[in-house]
Amino acid sequence: MFKSKKVKVLLALLLVFVMFAAVGCGGAKEEPKKEEPKSEAPKEAEKPAWPTKDITMVYHSKAGSGGDMFLRAMSKSLEGPIGRTIIVENLPGAASMNAWKYVDESKDGHTFLGVSSTLITSPIMNDLPLTYKSFEPVAMMFVDPMVLFVQAEAPWDTWEDFQKDAQANPGKYNIAGGIPGELGFVAAKLLQEKAKIDINVVPFEGGADATVAVLGGHVDGAIGEYGEAVAQLDAGKLKVLIGFNPVEGVDIPTVQDKGYDFLVEKFRGIVAPKGTPQEVIDIWADAALKALDEPGFNKYWNNMKLVRAYKTGPEFVKVMEEQDKQIRAFLK
Amino acid sequence: MLENLLAGGQNVFDWASLAAIAFGVLWGIVGGMIPGINATIAMALLLPFTWGMDPINAIMMLAGVYCGGEYGGSIPAILIGTPGTTAAAVTSIDGYEMHKQGKTGIALGTSLISSTFGGMVSAILLIFVAVPLASVAIKFGPSEYFALSSVGLTLVCSLGGRNVFKGILAGAIGVFIASIGYDPMNGIPRYTMGNLNIADGFGLVAVMMGLFAISELLLQAEELTGDDKFSIASKVDTSLPNWSIIKTFMPTAFFSSLLGTVIGAMPGVGASTACFVAYSEAKRWCKDGNTFGTGNIKGIAAPEAANNAVTGGALVPLLALGIPGSNSTAIMLGALMIHNVQPGPLLFEKTPEIPFSIFVALIVANIFMLIMGYYIVKLAIKVTSISKPILFACIMALVFTGAFAYSGDTFDIFVTFIFGLIGYLMKKYGVPYTATVLGFVLGFIMEANLRRALLISKGDWFAGLFNSPISSTLLILAIIAFFTTVYQNLKKPVDVETNGNA
Repeated sequence: MFKSKKVKVLLALLLVFVMFAAVGCGGAKEEPKKEEPKSEAPKEAEKPAWPTKDITMVYHSKAGSGGDMFLRAMSKSLEGPIGRTIIVENLPGAASMNAWKYVDESKDGHTFLGVSSTLITSPIMNDLPLTYKSFEPVAMMFVDPMVLFVQAEAPWDTWEDFQKDAQANPGKYNIAGGIPGELGFVAAKLLQEKAKIDINVVPFEGGADATVAVLGGHVDGAIGEYGEAVAQLDAGKLKVLIGFNPVEGVDIPTVQDKGYDFLVEKFRGIVAPKGTPQEVIDIWADAALKALDEPGFNKYWNNMKLVRAYKTGPEFVKVMEEQDKQIRAFLK
Repeated sequence: MLENLLAGGQNVFDWASLAAIAFGVLWGIVGGMIPGINATIAMALLLPFTWGMDPINAIMMLAGVYCGGEYGGSIPAILIGTPGTTAAAVTSIDGYEMHKQGKTGIALGTSLISSTFGGMVSAILLIFVAVPLASVAIKFGPSEYFALSSVGLTLVCSLGGRNVFKGILAGAIGVFIASIGYDPMNGIPRYTMGNLNIADGFGLVAVMMGLFAISELLLQAEELTGDDKFSIASKVDTSLPNWSIIKTFMPTAFFSSLLGTVIGAMPGVGASTACFVAYSEAKRWCKDGNTFGTGNIKGIAAPEAANNAVTGGALVPLLALGIPGSNSTAIMLGALMIHNVQPGPLLFEKTPEIPFSIFVALIVANIFMLIMGYYIVKLAIKVTSISKPILFACIMALVFTGAFAYSGDTFDIFVTFIFGLIGYLMKKYGVPYTATVLGFVLGFIMEANLRRALLISKGDWFAGLFNSPISSTLLILAIIAFFTTVYQNLKKPVDVETNGNA
């Protein structure tokens, strides 16, 4: 009796420790996936001096958040081509500065940073000492396509219908969008400017709330990520009027098709601390390109409705520069 | 529907699935018990291990964690006055009080039975009305959310005991704390004084751990004077409630379960809000409502039934709309998506066995929870026989570790500490810190949705707030509740002096 109780207590304690241990490493060491034995043997004659140890990939949001889950999936697919374990480390807090500062100050040559458009928005909104210019671009991987969607029963069948209606009734239509400083807000502003319409943009925090608000008829439409509305779009409850980025396999008229001269790209990518040697960045960029076609990861990002947008070096910087300008322009 | 149910049952009743659910429930309860690890974190920690699993088993395991986590938080809430999860914060009001009175077994038993009952009711409701419930959920827009949180916030008036103004003051402090951080409408930091650490506002877990746990420990440590009193001598009744006791809280539990299911179905509201609303409604409608806060058994039944009913409710927007309404369901969405299962309206048409398996799994998870909970409660009750200084030191360490583990940000350790001191002072002066937490939880939802509603109505207050039967009813209810509480309170002579020492 006594003995069994002790066992029970021990078991309970063990479970507690396991849980804390798991929190500690943020689930970084995940069980290896079955279908990726693609560890290519030394592919080139001269083996590079990098990497010499396991790699750390830092991210600014909590373990289990959307961006984090994406990064973990990506890291796993990068492990094959790079030939080392990649550990994802979450350093949330302080408007992302905790993570960025950590990478900026790391000098071991094996610490990198996963980034999203937050790298552009947060420094502007919070006046941070670090910006996208503080890092060396490695590779931009994806764009989260954004669209303007309305209820399927809405009176507009095409973008032109809506445009005409909105022009005739300035300020009448309520469109859910992100808060100022977010890309959804920038997209809404630019669309209004280029299409010469006047809509009432209502800031919503997450795409989920905004989608529900459209379904419930609380707002007339929303600008959000395609992936967040896809279930309702497929079911025919919502329809897309215009897209800000092309979505693979779906026929959506984009702002470019309509001749509006602007590009809003909610990107995801990887950057490195300043002073990282070019050879290392090249290895990364190559690995990233290979990872995109790794079957498991390929399936993942296709499911998440991400759009492949592989860009490196100056091209990647150009995207960030452009976005930086766009956001600053609307905060004036 | 019957055949879907059967197909669902078939998926659930095989060894691998049952084992997955059982493990999930256990993991959830233990996670929920640890301050700082809530159902969401416990699920996130398991997520990577589900990637190799069959998608249905994976989601069933996560559903088990969700159930267990929402329940587990109540155990430390009752035993040590430290809610393991934010959703169990309300439980600690009456639960801890009952424990202090020696009715520990009854309190723990009540929380277990009402949690199971709440989970069951919501799971059964799901089977019948998941899709219709989704259409109720989408009826809630900005003005309805504002109205709902107003109803919840009226509770602050009665949390102050005999002095309504203390409650309102404490609630206002909470609302103010919620306004620190970025402005929900224009993204600009407010009241941060340039401090980046609070640019995103204070974390609910850290604030709550401080106000509830640290303050209680400080207060209790003060009483530890004599060395012979170190081991608790006060008798603890470990007997669980019998049927005649269960009967008394069942109506409350049932009503709270319905409330929890509906509130859970609303995206962006969550278990904490559901508990507060259920508690305040139970207090309002029960005949013995005035004894809430002094160890009323219904004060445990209401929030616990509600927070477990949220598990079923929260699956409504996820499965029927394909929209995750909370962090927990966002993780479930991730688990489904990775296996190429896209929840949404088409899920019920094309593969109804998947949602129905989840519903059956929820029922099974609740049964497992009842059984495991029984043994865990028996074990946990032994905490009361540990010497107090040792226990306090352990809890203190656990709370700070938990606050850090939740966010991964060392700054939250300071937040916990500071709010611990604030909570200590509040308790000393009889200011209800629970009202502060309530204001903090609801403040952000209220503000953002009020401003959204006004933006939509182009600044017209009346059209913005009373634009639907739901919001009008809720707002009128809130106004009536506010004035009747204040009126009743003013009618009675309030002895401010003695109240201050309470």
